[in-house]
Amino acid sequence: MFAPAANTTLVKNTSYKVVLPFYLYAALSFLAATILLLNSTTAFTGHYFQPHILAITHTIALGWGTMIILGASHQLVPVLIEAKLYSNALAYISFILAAIGILLLVYGFYFFDMGMPAQWGGWFVVSAILSFLINIAISMSKSKNESVHAVFVFTATIWLFLTALLGLAQVYNFTQFILPSNSVHYLTLHAHAGIIGWFLLLIIGVSSRLIPMFLISKYSNPKLLWRIYTLINSALLVFVFLFLYPGIEGLLFIPIVLVFIAIIFFIHYCYCAYKQRLRKQVDEQIKLSLLSVVMLVLPVLLLIIVIIFLISTSGEKLNLILLYGFLIFFGWITAIILGMTFKTLPFIVWNKVYHKRAGLSKTPNPKDMFSNSIFKAMSVVYITGFILFAIGILYGMIILLNTGAILLLLAAILYNWNVIKIMLNKPKI
Amino acid sequence: MNVVTNNNINCSIALTALQNVLDPEIGLNVVDLGLIYQLDFDEENRKIYCSMTLTTQFCPMGESIADGVKNALQNTFSDYTIEVNVTFNPAWNQAMISDEGKKFLNK
Repeated sequence: MFAPAANTTLVKNTSYKVVLPFYLYAALSFLAATILLLNSTTAFTGHYFQPHILAITHTIALGWGTMIILGASHQLVPVLIEAKLYSNALAYISFILAAIGILLLVYGFYFFDMGMPAQWGGWFVVSAILSFLINIAISMSKSKNESVHAVFVFTATIWLFLTALLGLAQVYNFTQFILPSNSVHYLTLHAHAGIIGWFLLLIIGVSSRLIPMFLISKYSNPKLLWRIYTLINSALLVFVFLFLYPGIEGLLFIPIVLVFIAIIFFIHYCYCAYKQRLRKQVDEQIKLSLLSVVMLVLPVLLLIIVIIFLISTSGEKLNLILLYGFLIFFGWITAIILGMTFKTLPFIVWNKVYHKRAGLSKTPNPKDMFSNSIFKAMSVVYITGFILFAIGILYGMIILLNTGAILLLLAAILYNWNVIKIMLNKPKI
Repeated sequence: MNVVTNNNINCSIALTALQNVLDPEIGLNVVDLGLIYQLDFDEENRKIYCSMTLTTQFCPMGESIADGVKNALQNTFSDYTIEVNVTFNPAWNQAMISDEGKKFLNK
């Protein structure tokens, strides 16, 4: 009997032309951030609110973290929602606006020019996020399936948009006083809306799909993911409320506890996926990504210590606050990107180079498109540099800060080397 | 899992060809992974119908794997028209992997 045609159609991948510029910009931003870090190590012995630290934070948060996530999301969201990306043009617009905006913003922070460079940079970044948000919203509205992962991505983007709007208002507030208090006052709100609302929500939403997929695990638990989603968003809303209506400082533990439970749930989710994996051998890239999930606990624990200090003593522990930011941006976010880049980029390039050749002759595995020994060296150098720099911040030791920064710069060079190697891959068949 | 077919000889030739099509992430071929459900040969219309699945519905490499299957069949049966359909009914599960495949994954 000749079987009837099935009606399943595969989701068309987003063109590599849309995605690759984001990856390249992110790689160069990581390099730039580590150069700035090496050039500004003395700044890490003082207050966290100073031009060089603001510039480094925004290079890492926007140029590195956000750009690569935006790039990967253009590729992954259609897969998550089982529908095509609404518009490639909007994706290009997002990239161009963000690329220009981040450059202007970082320049503005580094030289503390809160006039035109930072203001225009802020507007460009806000517009880039808005065009991404529109693209994702319309793509989702055209999808017939509801995906918890896509809801994570969409909500995270709304938080990013709000974070960027507040950031823009803070920039204007330096010269035009449009906010009731000074810009530093809003830093906690701006930072946590970005860290928890954007990065945590998005990384959990995407990783909860990718980690089981790469481990070839059949584990799936949408109920648990919805609980995590509710916990994180509740934490953010409680935090915003407490920020706007400050009262008892001890109440700040409520959002922290909610986020902490969400993280524990997510670690449990990853552990179940790991236990139920089909592939026994776990590659280096997934190991680094799983390590980053555990690294999530460190900043939360540190935050609890910071708040205990805040309540029990009169002053802020500046080194602990700096360390908290460092653990998040150079620890958790950087580790997951270092791992996940080599689980996503080779596939995007493989699709470009070998798609039409598949099945006709032997094609290389995507994992063969980069050097695993460079990856291993990068991981060792990165982890060592990260630990040394973190201890350097804690004890205010310049020699550790310098050594750590040199190692992080080396890790960024090795990362870029492998990224360029993948991007320039030519078919050998 | 056994492949359903209406022509054992051609099916065997087709499966040999399909052993060159790898899931790029796993590195295992689509036959040992158990992704091929059905291979029917319509001699009258010179048409091959292949029903296959993917390890996950969200596989970003799905299009490439399905195209790889089509290419491999077309290369082997050049005077046939190839129709590849991806289905998730039934959904793929680990029991569909061949013994060879299991050995490969447990390495």
